Amino acid sequence: MSGTFGSLNTALTALRYNRVAMDVASSNIANVSTEGYARRRALAETLGASSTPAVWSRSDLAGEGVRASGIDRMTDPFLDIRARREHGNQSYLDVRQNVLERVETGIGEPGDKGVAAALADFRQGWHDLANNPAGGAARSQLLARATTVVESFRAQARNIATESSDQRFTLQAKVGEVNAVASDLASTNESIAAAKLNGTDTGSLMDARDRLSMRLAELTGGVATSRADGGLDVTVNGVPLVTGRDAAQLQISSGVLPSGASDGNPVAFSIVSTSGTTSVPTGMRGEIGAGTDLLNTTLPAYATALDAVAQSFADRVNTLHTAGYDKNGTAGAAFFTFTPGDVAGSLTLALTSPDQVAASSIPGGGLDATTASLLGGTDPAEAAYQQLVNGFGTEVASVKRLALNQQSLTSQVDGSREQVSGVSLDEETLSLLAAQHAYEAASRVISTMDSVLDTLINRTGTTH
Amino acid sequence: MSITRVTQSMMMERSLGGMQMSLARLARTQEQLSTGRVLNRPSDSPTDTTSAMRIRSSISNQAQFVRNAEDGMGWLGQVDNTLTSMTDQVRRARDLALQGANTGAGSTASREALATEVDQIRASLVASANTSYLGRPIFGGITAGTAAYDAAGTYVGTPGSVDRTVAEGVTIRVDVDGNAVFGPAGSSLFDGLTALAADLRSANSTGMRTGIATLNTAMDRITTTLADVGTRYNRLDQAAEAAKSSTLNLTSSLSEIENTDLPRATVDLKMQEVAYQAALSATSRVMQPSLLDFLR
Repeated sequence: MSGTFGSLNTALTALRYNRVAMDVASSNIANVSTEGYARRRALAETLGASSTPAVWSRSDLAGEGVRASGIDRMTDPFLDIRARREHGNQSYLDVRQNVLERVETGIGEPGDKGVAAALADFRQGWHDLANNPAGGAARSQLLARATTVVESFRAQARNIATESSDQRFTLQAKVGEVNAVASDLASTNESIAAAKLNGTDTGSLMDARDRLSMRLAELTGGVATSRADGGLDVTVNGVPLVTGRDAAQLQISSGVLPSGASDGNPVAFSIVSTSGTTSVPTGMRGEIGAGTDLLNTTLPAYATALDAVAQSFADRVNTLHTAGYDKNGTAGAAFFTFTPGDVAGSLTLALTSPDQVAASSIPGGGLDATTASLLGGTDPAEAAYQQLVNGFGTEVASVKRLALNQQSLTSQVDGSREQVSGVSLDEETLSLLAAQHAYEAASRVISTMDSVLDTLINRTGTTH
Repeated sequence: MSITRVTQSMMMERSLGGMQMSLARLARTQEQLSTGRVLNRPSDSPTDTTSAMRIRSSISNQAQFVRNAEDGMGWLGQVDNTLTSMTDQVRRARDLALQGANTGAGSTASREALATEVDQIRASLVASANTSYLGRPIFGGITAGTAAYDAAGTYVGTPGSVDRTVAEGVTIRVDVDGNAVFGPAGSSLFDGLTALAADLRSANSTGMRTGIATLNTAMDRITTTLADVGTRYNRLDQAAEAAKSSTLNLTSSLSEIENTDLPRATVDLKMQEVAYQAALSATSRVMQPSLLDFLR
């Protein structure tokens, strides 16, 4: 048997539920452009009869209304995992591309101001000297061109050194950021566990959790796994960084001194937690992984190859030059000096006076020019340098292509995530409209019941 | 992955990404047009970069070869002029010797006149043998001094060849060794003339005949050298021409590799501009309407 006021109560539940639905829709609309916000949906549940039938406790009611059983946060954990992985790869490639493009611009090839042009000019200078071994102008011009060669080698070496030093500072800053984000994530994990226990809405905490773990993936390529209490654990290359409410510290264990200088070793990382220090295996992704690979492999490889070119150039000139005789007929001195290990960066013109240039292969001050002609001949260092530039150009081109491909993959995954989690204004407008109409209808139920009861109470059985 | 749900921010992201890609293409074409080069950095095309660097190096080599050859042609031109004028003088000296030998026992005064002229010719020939090009005596080998012969007609140069590199590994000698063209010390042209003058004065007819033979040999040597100089001059000329034409070829190859194909880049620019404008206008139309426009 239904109570007299049953329908009024049912309408009341409908009013309550539709208020919740409108709250959710307005919150979605408010957060339409909030980064990391996943749209919410109000879940409705019919209020039915008692679920334990008994002889005197049974219900023949049509229903007792509706209630909001919860608020769903529309995400797909698998897509989130995928997105974190792709973002880690994306930031790795982006950093790599940016740095390599900067270095490439510094090379300045092909053009008439790079090392290749300086080397060719230097050789032509020897030809001019061979044409006029007595001329002071040809000698001075040769020394000026030698200075240009030295400067252009040094400029490239300096470029690489500057870029390496920038990358070391960037690594230090990023490690700091990782530790800050990791500790934020740990405290978010703790709040989520607590909120779940006391039944508070965890939606915005979950948003923060996903945002923080995404940032960790972009920085380190760290992999996040879900916990039973709703939090996320993050491991970097298999070493735990965040476990529940505990965050470990990422540290640079070698390669970069606290001052930002290099200590001569490859860059390596370790994670310090309460249970001890674990070194992180090589092969990190993300921005830190890109910086590490650049510092450990790419930049040193280019610097070494450039040194080899500079050394082969300087050795050839020195060998031929010391076999010759200068303007006064004395044996030629070394043309260039350098420090082994940093040839391109330390290359120096050793001659101080144009008369010291040895053009002759015969002692005694004659105007023989055999040595000058030999030095004007083909220099294998030029071909080696062309090869170096070609190799580097190929690497940059390949990184550009990879980054572009990764870009489309990443935006594809982001699109899929957006399909699930993104707020659609049309959809929210519609659900707002639906809730509004439902609210009006429930109000109408109340006024109908009111007039029914009015008829029953005030008009039935009364006489005028 | 099929699209099941489209949201405003998804469309915004996509249009933004698309427009940025389109703008990046536009910027690339614009860079090619404004720099006039398609190769602005090695990664634009590593292979072409290597070719461009090799060609640039070759162009610089060929330009130098042209300079070397032209400098050598200056040397040999000077040698040629000098030797030609010397031939005339040697011929005149031989005529004088013949005259002296024919008249036999002419008057002392006439023989003295002949001998004086021979002395003059000898002095003039020594001066010619000291001709210099750009401050270097052309018959003096690699001497650092200013003369190949002293006033007495003794060789004071330093033997050695002056060479010019006119192609990869090809050198051409551009001077003439004084000893080779004027004869070795003791039996040189100048020594022969000194003896001839003395013989004329002393009416030594045997000596005069020997003098004539010496002068004939000297003439032959000079003529042979002249022919050799001519051949070398031609080689230099050809080498210079070859280097010049290969400079032209290389320059056009370099331009083909490095420089922008203007008509094509302009058409590309126009097309990308149109595409970009279309993307902009499509975006502005798609982003504007929402359901709210159609509800009361």
